[in-house]
Amino acid sequence: MAIKRLFIANRGEIALRIVRAAQALNIETVVAVSDADRDTAAARLADRSVVLGPASAAKSYLDPRLIVHAARESGCDGLHPGYGFLSERAILPRLCSAQGIAFVGPEPDVIDALGDKLSARAMAKAAGVPLVPGSECVASAADARREGDRIGYPVLLKASAGGGGRGMVIANNRDEAEAGFHRASAEAVAAFGDGTLFMERFVPEARHVEVQLMGDGKGQVVHFGERDCSVQRRYQKLIEEAPCAAMPDHLRAQLHKSAVDLAASVNYRNAGTAEFLFDVRRQEFYFIEVNARIQVEHPVSEMISGFDLVQEQIRIAGGAPLSVAQDQVKLSGHAIECRINAEDPARDFLPSPGRITRWDPPTGDGIRLDSHMSEGAMIPPFYDSMVGKLIVHGETRAEAVAKLTDAIDRFTVEGVPTTLGLHRAIITHPDFIANTIHTRWLEQVFLPDMAAKAA
Amino acid sequence: MTSETMTIAKDPAAQAIDDARALLEALLSSGSQQIHLDSGGTEIYIARMGAAPSPMRARAVAVAPPVAPAALGTEVAIKAPHVATLVQVLGVGTPVSAGQAVATVHVLDEPEDIVSPVAGVITGIGAAAGDLLDYGTVVLTVREAA
Repeated sequence: MAIKRLFIANRGEIALRIVRAAQALNIETVVAVSDADRDTAAARLADRSVVLGPASAAKSYLDPRLIVHAARESGCDGLHPGYGFLSERAILPRLCSAQGIAFVGPEPDVIDALGDKLSARAMAKAAGVPLVPGSECVASAADARREGDRIGYPVLLKASAGGGGRGMVIANNRDEAEAGFHRASAEAVAAFGDGTLFMERFVPEARHVEVQLMGDGKGQVVHFGERDCSVQRRYQKLIEEAPCAAMPDHLRAQLHKSAVDLAASVNYRNAGTAEFLFDVRRQEFYFIEVNARIQVEHPVSEMISGFDLVQEQIRIAGGAPLSVAQDQVKLSGHAIECRINAEDPARDFLPSPGRITRWDPPTGDGIRLDSHMSEGAMIPPFYDSMVGKLIVHGETRAEAVAKLTDAIDRFTVEGVPTTLGLHRAIITHPDFIANTIHTRWLEQVFLPDMAAKAA
Repeated sequence: MTSETMTIAKDPAAQAIDDARALLEALLSSGSQQIHLDSGGTEIYIARMGAAPSPMRARAVAVAPPVAPAALGTEVAIKAPHVATLVQVLGVGTPVSAGQAVATVHVLDEPEDIVSPVAGVITGIGAAAGDLLDYGTVVLTVREAA
């Protein structure tokens, strides 16, 4: 049954985004806030807000019982978890289901299965989705050499009991594979008391590509093209684009098919993203994981498809079938998004919460801003420091880059330092323009260059 | 009476402790080396080992004012510890002892007692049974016994 009153269990720009999507569907909204977020844009725009607990996320946005209780007692029949916080914790849909509240997301069992790396890989393999070539257990240096030859160098030797980079060695050839086996195995014994290793192909210059999926749990799954999120720092995405201009069409079609096959194999319901590593040199892609939620960067897919993914999420959670078939999804042009954080790139990205004293964003054709900020708004120090996402759409990638550069130039924020200037420097860098970047580019090339120039 | 309309007056010491806990959590869950909050009457600096020295150390050490023992006859507001539904609350004029349950709330049908931190007499009720209480809503006030 269609949702009549939606509970929004999140904060920041995504809470506001969800309130607006619900209002466009004539659905009432109740926003959950912490004590620090009483006076936010989402809380003001919603029909009602409920204060869960103190500023501490553990006692507010991360407490599933408080959230589901507040949703039930405020008369909500649907709950949207947004991204982050509890969005991929199966406990939330399980509690919702026990209270007769429709969860805007996948089935809890699917969330659990996809959240476990090994079971997600098994599901991908069963659906015929390519995985990073790798080995079973490697028991000796001779094994390491044979498996290295088979997989292709460079390879990564990893401790099966491992984590945190310990017991992990990169080998660029057969000799290094043998030597690396002894070293990694000894490290693994020292760190974990277990010297068992396995091997995986190492992709030094990979791009991060991901496919936006939507399923209705009634057998239909469609995709809304792929995104390229290769500009990353410490595995956090800074800039996202759609489509991945570095990928040839025949590979793109295979990528989409892999993602849809995987989602269809579990009769996936609601929005999800299948993430892949794209090895540009070998022209191959490998499955990483599925994110069972709406993602921060969903707007670039909306910009190239003209389709509102959050509204569709809410409709599907209310029991509706997909409102589009694959052949009705028309992708056009190029979109780029930058995540604007209240951080100081010159001081190692120090989070800089505080009050916005001036907020004067650009407007214009093909420019979109997803933000909960305004003049006088407060960025509390308790949560992430994202103040908004600036998204542009152009006919071509070059046009989108030019439009984003111009939009950043016309964007004035005062009161706190932001990463706007950093974004301008990234998108006007020759490597970004030539589109030869990879996931380690920002940390290995761009930021050291920037630091050297500043010195 | 709806809970949304109430104004929350917070004990500054309790607020500072809440803020410090939340800041520590923010620091641990982020890659930051240090966090410095300076807002209103509260300044907090939390750092990992090896982070920059505290800007507060350079100045005179600021000591939070000790929580003064409540003066005789002080009115104490007892607030909702988190969002919850009020099930029952004792009436105005009821004498209570320190640690006594004065109200019951529930979260997903699990009951939880709210106790009075002081001995005294209930002087006011801020919410009605069945209300969904916001965090911080004043449930009742107790005048501390002389």
